[in-house]
Amino acid sequence: MSIADRLVLQRQRHLKWKALDPLEMVLMIICGLTLFGFSVSVCCDIMTRQLGDPWLWLQEVTSTLFVYGIFIGAAVATRRNDHLYLTAFAESMHGTARTVAEVVIRLVVLGVAICLIYYGYLNYLRGFGSFRLPSNTPIASLYAAIPLCGLLTALFTIEQIVNGCRNGFDHPEPDEPEHSAAFGASRPGELT
Amino acid sequence: MSSPVILGLMTFCFLFFGYLGVPVPFALLAGVFVGALLSDVSLAAIIQKMFDGVDNEALLAIPFFLLVGELMSSSNVVIRVANLALALVGHIRGGLSQVVTVFSMMFSEMSGSTTADVAVISRALSGPMKKEGYKGPFIAAIIAAASTIAALVPPSITAVVYGAVGNVSIAGLFMAGVVPGLMIGFGLMIYCYFFGPVGARRQRASFGMVAGAAKDAALPLMIPIILLGGILSGWFTPTEAGVVAATWILLVIIPALNPKHIWQLPYDFCLAGLIFSLPLITIGAANAFGWMLAYLRGASVIAEWITAIAGTDPHLIMLMMVLLFTIIGDFIEPVPTIIIFMPLVNALTQAGDINPVHMGVVLIATLAFGLITPPYGLVLLMASKFVGVRFSQALRAALPIYVVFLVTISFCIYFPKVVLWLPKQVIPTAVGCFANPSGTGYICPP
Repeated sequence: MSIADRLVLQRQRHLKWKALDPLEMVLMIICGLTLFGFSVSVCCDIMTRQLGDPWLWLQEVTSTLFVYGIFIGAAVATRRNDHLYLTAFAESMHGTARTVAEVVIRLVVLGVAICLIYYGYLNYLRGFGSFRLPSNTPIASLYAAIPLCGLLTALFTIEQIVNGCRNGFDHPEPDEPEHSAAFGASRPGELT
Repeated sequence: MSSPVILGLMTFCFLFFGYLGVPVPFALLAGVFVGALLSDVSLAAIIQKMFDGVDNEALLAIPFFLLVGELMSSSNVVIRVANLALALVGHIRGGLSQVVTVFSMMFSEMSGSTTADVAVISRALSGPMKKEGYKGPFIAAIIAAASTIAALVPPSITAVVYGAVGNVSIAGLFMAGVVPGLMIGFGLMIYCYFFGPVGARRQRASFGMVAGAAKDAALPLMIPIILLGGILSGWFTPTEAGVVAATWILLVIIPALNPKHIWQLPYDFCLAGLIFSLPLITIGAANAFGWMLAYLRGASVIAEWITAIAGTDPHLIMLMMVLLFTIIGDFIEPVPTIIIFMPLVNALTQAGDINPVHMGVVLIATLAFGLITPPYGLVLLMASKFVGVRFSQALRAALPIYVVFLVTISFCIYFPKVVLWLPKQVIPTAVGCFANPSGTGYICPP
């Protein structure tokens, strides 16, 4: 399986539209690129400071990639169900109760996502009044990550609600997902 | 509507949605939005607070430490460290349970993440332990307990968050975490020796075998040296140390020990890019929740309750905080707990005239303990899942191990001089010491 194929999680396939698989893959690649990008920019920042000629704009690059990495990662984690959970109480339910609970969960996420879009957009507009140094770029360039995150989260949540109502939420899953992001838990059995 | 009612509703919404199955950051934000709608706070201000929560340079260290852990586990080089632990302590009574503890003490110094630790140790050692006859619940309990060491010793991500949010020296927290980290490690080894299963009897490894295992593990073991050496010598900030450690793995360890893995690096970066966003978005949401808590004077009210009982006695204040954090830690994860309650922690640290690093280490140790206590002991939950036993069984096996944590936390509260000894020697300014005007040494608070 190629790396690109592995980037799209096959868990909970019944809640996903195939049409959005390329988007998940692209967002995962962006996550990797932002991490790689700010790793390189921090490296360059250290080196230029050690050489006595710091490139101050590198810190802006770092913070931009860092912020976009967080909000894009949070959005794609919604589709992959990779977020941190207190518990999955709903998963212990079956039948209609399960469907109701799962829909309520996603409506809460959708509500929050809509707030992120609308109020994040207001914040973005306000961000044109402040500037980042030394480039004098409006800080709105950073704030734009929030409504973007809200938009993607809303899209993935609607996808799950529609497919869940159509196919049901209660599908048996393998015990251990192959590429989930459980902090190092991505490759089961490799170390044994 | 009065502030306590709004705070109560916010908390109820967060816990209700969270326990229903809403992801933590969205449950937190839903609670905050409800609070904002019922008060005079605008929702745009909440969004701003969420952004401010992640726009913190110190938090930049987190992705690098997570990347180090991910690269170490995915490239399969940690098995060399496990082999070294086996050569060192595999012959001691308890066998592989001793190896679990020592391996965790070593790997914690590289990953800084309890969840990375529990995943890696479970995969590396639960199979061999089962083959040697250890019971599943004990395996899950000892792996979970040993994994919590990562919350205390450098480069602990919990310490990075605590330092970044509470404006406390991260290097100081790293150093002060060494004593409780070692206490838990050695405490678990003592527990396994006297009370754990005997395990398979092994010959003591010869000096040559230990030297061979150490040679094999030498490159990965350079990571803690890079991290600690760089930070303590003042050469690097924690973020820079994380970058250098990641560079070391990418340019030296993987090409030297597992060159085939180079082709998998793009995938590792994509996955690590996703992984780092998960705690950070939670930090952003928790920051908004914590700000509302402070705005509605929730932190002040709780601080007044605690000082009404404990006065300004630092030990009593810390005991009350440990009790509070034990209860909260049973329901919420360490990172959001720290951020939400930081205004309260700061108020009480001042009220009791407590060294902020000391308070930080005690609370981090308490939250580490919360990772193996019910109902939401995340690390114990993960370990029981990886080992394949029921949570309730793992919990019963973990109960006697709680003594190790309670002794460690109590020791940290009552012996601050021991806990703060190491940071005072290495980085005195991190614990409030200042250079003597006469030019020799440092003057430290009592």
